[in-house]
Amino acid sequence: MGAKRLDRGILLSTIIMVSLAVAPHVTHVNPWISAFYFVLAGLRLLALWRPRVLPGRFVLLLLTAAGLANVIAHHRLLIGRNAGVALLVSMLGLKLLESRGPRDLFVSVFLGYFLIVTQFLYSQSIGLAAYLAVIVVGLTAILVELSKARPSANPLWPLRRAGALLAQAVPLMLVLFVLFPRLSGPLWNLDMDSSSGVTGLTDRLSVGSVSNLSQSRAVAFRVEFGSHVPDYIQRYWRGPVFWTTDGKNWSAAAEPVGSKNPMSPGFSASGDEIAYTVTLEPTGQRWIFALDLPSRTPVWSNLTPDFQLLAATPVNQEIRYRATSYPEYNTGALSEDDRHRALQLPDNISPRMTALVKHWQGSDARATAVVGQALDYFRSKPFVYTLQPPVLGDNPTDEFLFETRRGFCEHYATSFTLLMRLAGIPTRVVAGYQGGEHNPHGDYYIVRQSDAHAWSEVWLQNRGWVRVDPTSAVAPERIERPFGVQDSGPGAPISFELRDPGIIRDLFRQAGFATDALNMAWRRWVLDYDNERQGYLLELLGLDFVRDYALGVTAVLISGFMLLLVAAGLWGKTHTKADPVERQYRRFCHRLARRGLRRRSYEGPRDFADRVVGNHPDLKPAVKQIVELYISLRYGPPTDRYRRNIQTLRNRISRFRP
Amino acid sequence: MKRKLINLLRFTQADRQGVATLAHRHIYILPTRYGVFFGVLLATMLLGSMNYANNLGFMTTFLLAGLGLVAMLHTYRNQIGLKIARGRAEAVFAGQAASFEVQIKNLRKGPRPGIQVQTGKTVLAATDLEPQQTQVVRLGKPAEKRGELPLGRIVVSTYFPLGLFRTWSYVELDFHCLVYPAPAPEVEIPTAPSYASSHSGDKGVGTDDFQGLRQYRPGDSPRHIDWKALARERGLLTRQFGGDRADQLWLDWSALPDQDVETRLSLLCRCVLTVSERQQTYGMRLPGLEIPLGRGAAHQGRCLEALARFEVRHGG
Repeated sequence: MGAKRLDRGILLSTIIMVSLAVAPHVTHVNPWISAFYFVLAGLRLLALWRPRVLPGRFVLLLLTAAGLANVIAHHRLLIGRNAGVALLVSMLGLKLLESRGPRDLFVSVFLGYFLIVTQFLYSQSIGLAAYLAVIVVGLTAILVELSKARPSANPLWPLRRAGALLAQAVPLMLVLFVLFPRLSGPLWNLDMDSSSGVTGLTDRLSVGSVSNLSQSRAVAFRVEFGSHVPDYIQRYWRGPVFWTTDGKNWSAAAEPVGSKNPMSPGFSASGDEIAYTVTLEPTGQRWIFALDLPSRTPVWSNLTPDFQLLAATPVNQEIRYRATSYPEYNTGALSEDDRHRALQLPDNISPRMTALVKHWQGSDARATAVVGQALDYFRSKPFVYTLQPPVLGDNPTDEFLFETRRGFCEHYATSFTLLMRLAGIPTRVVAGYQGGEHNPHGDYYIVRQSDAHAWSEVWLQNRGWVRVDPTSAVAPERIERPFGVQDSGPGAPISFELRDPGIIRDLFRQAGFATDALNMAWRRWVLDYDNERQGYLLELLGLDFVRDYALGVTAVLISGFMLLLVAAGLWGKTHTKADPVERQYRRFCHRLARRGLRRRSYEGPRDFADRVVGNHPDLKPAVKQIVELYISLRYGPPTDRYRRNIQTLRNRISRFRP
Repeated sequence: MKRKLINLLRFTQADRQGVATLAHRHIYILPTRYGVFFGVLLATMLLGSMNYANNLGFMTTFLLAGLGLVAMLHTYRNQIGLKIARGRAEAVFAGQAASFEVQIKNLRKGPRPGIQVQTGKTVLAATDLEPQQTQVVRLGKPAEKRGELPLGRIVVSTYFPLGLFRTWSYVELDFHCLVYPAPAPEVEIPTAPSYASSHSGDKGVGTDDFQGLRQYRPGDSPRHIDWKALARERGLLTRQFGGDRADQLWLDWSALPDQDVETRLSLLCRCVLTVSERQQTYGMRLPGLEIPLGRGAAHQGRCLEALARFEVRHGG
């Protein structure tokens, strides 16, 4: 791997492939980081034709410092996923710029591979996976090209070669993927990322700061119900309750707030008590989750007056608990203190908001009517439910309500809550999980981080705290059925309303179902493959006695076996099968060799035959027959009787015993 | 020390025809530094995928791990069965660089790209072999001493297809290049021309002195035809000349001043070159060896070879 000079073609393809690998990150990396990368990559590209623009050692050093400063400016602590990606992208730009020898390109390609893995932390859609699979082939082709002595004449050759290598690697990948032992929780927990947009619950809601909510498929908890399973629409798993806001952030107090006695005067609950067992994954927080409205709770937990269920210590390992809930309830009276807090307003209430609320109150001032008006507002105005809303400024609620109108549950719940408070209705925001997917293989429900949800509670006279979910006004499907919609792109609306039964729409609908089914299969067999599915699959294969480290050993053994198969395949290609005529002739020579008549390497069939006959005249007729037939088959024109003649040759040689 | 260790390793010996076939007993394989880096990267990817329970991360990691393993097989396969054969090695003078032509034969129906040949640490030649193709690579090696310069053990290696693994074999081709003594800068031809008359005579072979006339034979130069005699109707006669003996030289070891062996050889070497250039006929006498009179490239080669091999033990 000496100091081979790089030709323009390989440098160009490396820059292109690496840039294509960086491209999807543009949507979630800070624009400054992307800009830094693309400026450097562009400079390198320009340098292919004008080498003078390449910076010297000193400028390169300055650029490196600038790149690092750029990353630190946006990710102060350099910890966590986003900071890592930013660092990686900047490093790639610098590496490309200083590429002079094959070594630099090897490193660039490897960093490119690494970058591809990081893409999947943000999105795991089929489309992205397919795109990145193509990039992997491209990057591998660069390695193929680098390990040749001279550039390929045909640029497709290294691509084909890379494709073939990857195709041979796929069986190994499948074995390792299926058998590699899975953990039930993360190895380490970096809270750095939790505030920057992983769906998950924290003690803070920051409206508008999250521009891209990634859908983590990680399991939040699993639930086994008793005899009665509540409907999907009823499964609101209650978590933190947010009372206070500064107009941008909502904070939840982990300590009990409000009156000391959870059961206010007038509390009543009815309906069948629902019993269930929850297996909660570690969260690092104190909240544990129960259905609205929790009644009997674990002894080590504490039910606050606003019905948050708190563990005594942060949940740092998987825990399992039993709880019961009432589906129907009346929380009764509201204390003066709580009323005051449930009406708290931030400073940045805009006149438009006040006017809107005044307008609603003008038609009907009753609390229920105002709630209905607000929901109608979300329903009738062009609000869009999206997981990738635009970033909002200083007054996110106003901006969201009147301008952008794109957001997810947090946007709807918080703005609804503010509007209600403006109307003098005590309101609070509740965060938690909604729904849960039935696992047919274990008869339990899985609630994932992507099921995280936020809704509002309004206090109504004689009814107590009543749950109102404004998101359902915009995207009822989000609430009424398992949320299985993939966002198609940044800011793309998730449209749930297809009332017009036109043919085109119907086609779209069918296509939509097909895509959904594909996505479902993708999620079921690829994304959700975890230790439970693994156990189930092993059981199916009759391998369920293999556990833990034995699983790893099995994986290694089977991969070794697959590797042997690949080797055997390659081996078959190495030893080219001799042509049948040639094989017979070799047999003939072998027989003579046993008599001590060894054919010399320079001897043609005729010369050899002459020598044999010269030494052993008795063999003359047989040798002559065989050799003549051999010569005519091997060197003569093709005839119809080719196959038959080969058979004759074989028979003659079998009978030939010198 | 290191040299000795390398000698302990298995190597492929050329057969009698000078062809070495790389069999699996003689192929070593290890990850390159890129391969090690790749491995570290894979471990990091695996940790990350485990931590984020990211199945596509797992898939990518396992795909790349599989790719690495498959590449290992391919690298091995790229090397195995390769045939290395000696080609020509033109004789050189000491002080010049010897050039060994090594043939690399691919008998397979598939290509073998990225085959490298080296003697020490530096790669001397790299080539891509097409299916069933033989390529000749030239390996330069400085020739310091006269005699036979062995090519020594060469290393044939490849890291195709991904550069993650490198296979290599030590090959001993038993390949030597003849090294003539370095010619001395310039020299007065030290040997006295031999004017002793030749008993066999040299009638008619020279061009200087007129010797007489004889009957024309086809093939005689028209310039030597005695046209005057023809005019006198004496028939077609050819004039004959002689006297080239003055150009017959004996390059004689014992005629050289008393100097050490190498100096004498390099003086003689220069003489051979000068005399050959002058198109003279010469012979050479060394202790225990006499090369009879002659001329032409083959004769020169014979003389230089004698100088090269003079009192050198084989393989010395």
